[in-house]
Amino acid sequence: MTAGSEEIVVSHLTKHYKTLRAVDDLSFTVHSGRVTGFLGPNGAGKTTTLRMLLGLVAPTAGSATFGGVRYADLEQPIRHVGAVLEASSAHKGRTGLNHLRMICTAAGLPWEAADEALARVGLTPAAKRKFKGYSLGMKQRLGIAAALLGDPRVLILDEPANGLDPEGIRWMRDLLKTLAAEGRTVLVSSHLLGEMQQLADDVVIIAAGRLIRQGPVDEVLGSMAGTAHVRVRTPQVAELTAALSEHRATVTPLPDGALLVTGLDPAAVGHAAFANSVELHELTGERADLEQVFLQLTAGKAGIR
Amino acid sequence: MKLVKAELFKIRSTSTWWVLGLITLALWAATLLTNWAGSSINAGVDPADQGLSPDQAEQIRVANEAVNVASNLYTSGQFFGVLMVMLLAAIVVTNEFFHQTATTTFLVTPRRTSVVLAKLIASTLLGIGFWLVTSLLNLIFVPLILNALDVGPQLGEPAIWRAIGLNGLAYVLWAVLGVGAGVLIRSQVGATIALSTGYVLGYFGASILFFLLTPRIGEWFSKLQVLVPPLASQLMVAGTELPGNPPRWVGAAVLIGYAAVAGGLGTWLMRRRDIA
Ligand SMILES: Nc1ncnc2c1ncn2[C@@H]1O[C@H](COP(=O)(O)OP(=O)(O)O)[C@@H](O)[C@H]1O
Ligand SMILES: [Mg+2]
Repeated sequence: MTAGSEEIVVSHLTKHYKTLRAVDDLSFTVHSGRVTGFLGPNGAGKTTTLRMLLGLVAPTAGSATFGGVRYADLEQPIRHVGAVLEASSAHKGRTGLNHLRMICTAAGLPWEAADEALARVGLTPAAKRKFKGYSLGMKQRLGIAAALLGDPRVLILDEPANGLDPEGIRWMRDLLKTLAAEGRTVLVSSHLLGEMQQLADDVVIIAAGRLIRQGPVDEVLGSMAGTAHVRVRTPQVAELTAALSEHRATVTPLPDGALLVTGLDPAAVGHAAFANSVELHELTGERADLEQVFLQLTAGKAGIR
Repeated sequence: MKLVKAELFKIRSTSTWWVLGLITLALWAATLLTNWAGSSINAGVDPADQGLSPDQAEQIRVANEAVNVASNLYTSGQFFGVLMVMLLAAIVVTNEFFHQTATTTFLVTPRRTSVVLAKLIASTLLGIGFWLVTSLLNLIFVPLILNALDVGPQLGEPAIWRAIGLNGLAYVLWAVLGVGAGVLIRSQVGATIALSTGYVLGYFGASILFFLLTPRIGEWFSKLQVLVPPLASQLMVAGTELPGNPPRWVGAAVLIGYAAVAGGLGTWLMRRRDIA
């Protein structure tokens, strides 16, 4: 594959279920070699979008392409795109290894690829065990192993952290980081945002089937700069509040005795304290986090549909 | 071709096939014993007849009957065998939805027609396998029974080999029907129950229904029996050319028709359906 050819372009994608517009004229681009977080509250249409992207669900209108080619038209698709959709998609009576071998056979890959993929996700000890005995974490690992069989340049994951314990989530994040560092394009959906902030380069935020915001994480956060604030702690609360008010900052006392300052950056707060000889015990700049931005952006648009 | 291999591997790597295989063997043995018992009674009557009027014409009749008895015995196990093959074929499809492997399958092969074709071919091969095993067992055990009945093994008769061959065709056609039914009834449990009860009740129920209604509606009505799939398959394989019965090829044509419709409809549905 030539550079850039793995770019994912979603164009006016639409899916109607009876009267429900699950996905509504959605357009965005996923750039190659980057990790893109695909965010939205439950029911926003993430799964539906990803399934349309992969040719599993037929769009009502619009299209989605990988380097200009629809998934169904790719030669040997799993060599280009690996997807992890639900954790439980294997036959319960089949061993993990046989699940992967089955995919290898259908895709014309050698069976060794199955062993390698299992090793990569640390499932080799459970290779000969039946899927029904797998824990949720192991199922998720098997799903990832299946996605890696064809050594694809693009990876698509739908809520991979769902149901994982904290250790599993960390493992997942580290693996995705490694895969991204190998230069793969990663599109990962989530309704939990804490993880995305550490993982994603870009975000695409949707709600109610529509695009809310798309761009690099920093830019999306930056566009919400008004929410940045500073935490300070001082024995001289009155003096500091007066000094900061002169700079037209808002000061809110917090239950733990600290102050929350909005409208100034940490340097400006520190300087104001110094100039007024106020003693500081704590000074922390708190950036708006994705969670807050997300809640603000999607507020009122989420709802249960 | 690699898709057919993958489908066969899917069947091989789970236990359904040998569980149903064992059931088939048990039912085959039961059927063979029942057929034997049935034939013994028939055979028990005949020598008595023969003893009363030992003329040429009667001997030909007995010989003819021996062929019929033999072809019935050589295709023992068909009634339940094709049911099991149909269930297996349906499960080849419903498994994909029950275990949500359809997603994986269609991610690997987005060309859905190829996937359905591979399933049809794999199920057909499975049907042939079941036919080979039961036919082989019949070829081993039936001559013993026929000897016990004092008629030869009858293996020189072309009618026997035709019956065995048509039996194979029945296994193949029911496998195709099973795949089509599996697409139509996506639910694993639903498909299994609907197909087994439909098959068994369809057979006996339809027989009774036609038996009761034909005198009221008219003789032409009984000819419609052949439209009931299990009756068509019975006619195709064991159909003695009795005056009232339609010829065997009608049974075959009906069954092929159903198989073609089921396979075609299944493919068409699978191409359109959202995999969610
Ligand atoms: N097969 C379907 N039939 C009807 N409605 C559906 C179907 N699949 C999804 N939906 C609806 O479409 C909306 C989007 O669902 P989904 O894409 O699963 O959202 P997300 O993955 O973001 O939680 C939801 O309201 C859901 O109920
Ligand atoms: Mg979802």
